[in-house]
Amino acid sequence: MSERADARIYDLGYQPYEGVRRGVDWAPVTVCRHAVQRVLGLRRPFRHKILPGIALVVAFVPALVYVGIAALLPVDLITEDILPSYAAYFGVIVAALVLFSSFVAPEALCTDRRTGMLDLYLAGPLDRNRYLGAKWAAVLGVMLLMTMGPQLFMLASFTIEGAGPPLREIPRLLLQIVVAGVGAGLFYTAISMAVASVTTRRAVAAVATALVLIVPNIVVTVLFQDAGAPKELAVLQPAVAEELAWRVFDESHVAEQAQVPVTLLSTPLVLAALAGWIAVGALVCWFRYRRLEGGS
Amino acid sequence: MSVVRANGVTKRFGRTVALDRLTVDIGSGITGLLGPNGAGKTTLISLVLGLRSRDEGELTVLGKDPKTAALEMRARIGYSPEHRNLPPDVHATDLVRHLAELHGIPGKAAIQRANDALWHVGLGEERFRPIGTMSTGQRQRVKLATAIAHDPRLVLLDEPTNGLDPLQRDDMLTLIRRIGSEFGIDIVISSHQLEEVERICDAVVIIDAGVVVRAGRLTELEEDVGALLVEVDEKALELAALLRAAGFEVEADTGPLLVLGAEGVHDAVRDAVADLGVGLRRLESRRQTLEDVYLEVSG
Repeated sequence: MSERADARIYDLGYQPYEGVRRGVDWAPVTVCRHAVQRVLGLRRPFRHKILPGIALVVAFVPALVYVGIAALLPVDLITEDILPSYAAYFGVIVAALVLFSSFVAPEALCTDRRTGMLDLYLAGPLDRNRYLGAKWAAVLGVMLLMTMGPQLFMLASFTIEGAGPPLREIPRLLLQIVVAGVGAGLFYTAISMAVASVTTRRAVAAVATALVLIVPNIVVTVLFQDAGAPKELAVLQPAVAEELAWRVFDESHVAEQAQVPVTLLSTPLVLAALAGWIAVGALVCWFRYRRLEGGS
Repeated sequence: MSVVRANGVTKRFGRTVALDRLTVDIGSGITGLLGPNGAGKTTLISLVLGLRSRDEGELTVLGKDPKTAALEMRARIGYSPEHRNLPPDVHATDLVRHLAELHGIPGKAAIQRANDALWHVGLGEERFRPIGTMSTGQRQRVKLATAIAHDPRLVLLDEPTNGLDPLQRDDMLTLIRRIGSEFGIDIVISSHQLEEVERICDAVVIIDAGVVVRAGRLTELEEDVGALLVEVDEKALELAALLRAAGFEVEADTGPLLVLGAEGVHDAVRDAVADLGVGLRRLESRRQTLEDVYLEVSG
């Protein structure tokens, strides 16, 4: 006869759930967190981590290098030629954003429609608007990490190292970083989500997003410089997002001398163009999902 | 208690009427939604889930109107769609946990529930495998696990045995029966396979062209039709003649005799078999099968 201490229950059978249930408002948070994990390749095979990893490296590594230089060099040797301005660093960030919005962000929408996950989501406590809101929040969150993360890191590091701006200028600089970062983040999120909403294939979305982000810049510049098109046509240039950063940081840049048309727009027109791009992207995405019946 | 109650529900897609003043009351247990392809089963499920809105009529699911309380209602419903796709690079346990969290189960509890659900559907050892490496049968089980992990009050299964081989199909039906009986979860299963519904369901709703043509408990539908099936070793035709002479109507085409009439039929068969001195192989009441009902209502 066995001892009581040896007794084991191996299977309790099915157990009803008696614990706390979160409200339906928690569902978008869950989807957002899951989408962040997916676009960053977390809990997925290594190959899915490569592209988001490269985008983050492109955004952050130059900042790390500059911070390292600032740490190694004596303060009196650090000049504006050695360290970039915050506006100039936006060029680096834009490269990372183009990479991320073309090759990584479409994952947030395309895969759900292609694999039927959208059906499962919409059969749960989510509707289309909440679903889209969660996906936008996820992609925008990662974009903001890239637009503001390196800038804030540089600001904090330079300040600690004594190579930063005077303390009284820090609040203004923080505000500039946030405004430029949010503007660019929203712009690239809107473009990539709009394109991803019209195809289930990531590769197609990647190529289409890259084309949308690059081709209008070239075409409008050529039309302006060679065909005498009005400078207002530059509102169609995706470069308005980067131009906003220059305006926010109140700096002039090389493109102005090269007569790139977007640099000739008034600041209100740059803002309106950026808002227009974001609104069009959001509307394309919203209309596309409104038309979907039950999922794919 | 009604799980789903529809009264005069109509759904149109352009000029096509998918559901035409459909009225039905689905109670507890496992209910089969039967009908040919295009009958309106999937449309009804989408209305029940609140994914589409009805054009006319009243509909309540778990006591709530899907039009006005869709999110709260869907938080207590599990759904396994017909398609076989799932994200291939996600581990089964991650997917089930994620959907449990989506339905309101907090993080740690969701992990526990996901593991339990995968064990219950027979994928305990496979739960850390990416779904893309699983067989069709295993993927169907993963979908079932996602449907039950959050302990729903109602589970909707849309053609859950599609694409399964006979053995996998048998296992899946056993599992669904277990969920409905042991787990105490009400189930509505959409299918066009009569034998599946007959095997596992307590009740059935037959839909054709958007209309409920028959609904009820399976025991009620499969009623005694007042006839006996009689099979003897030999002399079947002589037996038929004797019974006709005794005043009973007998159908004797091929196979067993079908003797119609309730009063005194057992005694008459016994006497006739004894008179002929033949062995009696089979004597049973003839019941109407679900197939009979289905063929009758679908013309």
